Amino acid sequence: MRLSVPVAISHGRVHRRLGLGPRSRLDLLRNLVTALVRHERIEAPWARADEMRGYAEKLIDYAKLGDTNERAMRMADFWLTVSIVFMAVIELKGNPLPPLIRPHRDTEKTLLNQLLKGYREDLQQATKG
Amino acid sequence: RVSSDGKPEKFQPPPKPVIIDKQKQKEERRFLSPEFIPPRGRTDPLKFYIERKDMIQRRRVFNIPEFYVGHVLAVTTADPHANEKTSRFVGICIQRGGKGLGATFVLRNVIEDQGVEICYELYNPRIQAIEVLKLEKRLDDNLMYLRDALPEYSTFDVNMKPVSRLDHEEVPVNKLQVRMKPKPWSKRWERPKYNIKGIKFELPESKMKAAQKWSQPWLEFDMLREYDTSKLEDKIWREVREGLKN
Repeated sequence: MRLSVPVAISHGRVHRRLGLGPRSRLDLLRNLVTALVRHERIEAPWARADEMRGYAEKLIDYAKLGDTNERAMRMADFWLTVSIVFMAVIELKGNPLPPLIRPHRDTEKTLLNQLLKGYREDLQQATKG
Repeated sequence: RVSSDGKPEKFQPPPKPVIIDKQKQKEERRFLSPEFIPPRGRTDPLKFYIERKDMIQRRRVFNIPEFYVGHVLAVTTADPHANEKTSRFVGICIQRGGKGLGATFVLRNVIEDQGVEICYELYNPRIQAIEVLKLEKRLDDNLMYLRDALPEYSTFDVNMKPVSRLDHEEVPVNKLQVRMKPKPWSKRWERPKYNIKGIKFELPESKMKAAQKWSQPWLEFDMLREYDTSKLEDKIWREVREGLKN
């Protein structure tokens, strides 16, 4: 339960009053959720973002149920106003274009790995000598 | 006998009889009374735990059978002013409300053309016996509309014999569509907020369409209103079973 009681909610209630009415409030939050899924980071008034957070987390829980679950798909159909397509790149081997910059998570060149490598070499030298 | 091979047939023992253990099948279906499930809120779970202990204590001494809305029950309570100090009331359960020790159920019956509803508390120490006379679930959770239905749907014989239970597995659902008295009713049952499936509406189409104006189609998509009780139920079911085993 949310313990930080927002100012705009009366005693015992859970939802804030946004927009013109309950339908308008859900439409507002729906647009925000779709924008969040599309851009992955959005800026909004604090109250709207706080309301939207709960719905976004619940939507992720529903998404975990999978593609074939009918209830999950109905929820997604309602909450995501636009079908968001995540693009990918595909290329043939031996193409003349310059190579794609794919960020790797853990390589030798990251600072932490370099420091650890130096530490390991120091230890080896200490044991040898 | 000689088989086609010419060799003597090996003795084939008869197939072993398959014993379907009804007791085991009954245990698989579990029923947790709705008043055990704590409501959603910021109260300390300790309060519900203490209440549950008291409820289990009462259930150990007095058997409260499994029943749903729509069952016909007979309740005997202790009454200091009655002849035999007990009073018996038979009726159909129209509503089950309250959580914890204050859980109630309302029984309705029509006696001598007068509709009578009595709200009993499940854990009231004055209640001496609860018998289930007829088992049937209805299409709704709340049968308050029987007040505005024709009296024949609420009349039950006071000396009714308990109907024997055939299946130990499923409670039968009665898909009865009830006919109503002419309007005005105590509540506008045709409105979608009550979500009643058990009435046969004989109203004109225009009235039914006008009632749909009050529908809130966004309510089923409001994810924060959902209260998932499955894990709570599991935990509480195990607790109750442990408590009642002794």
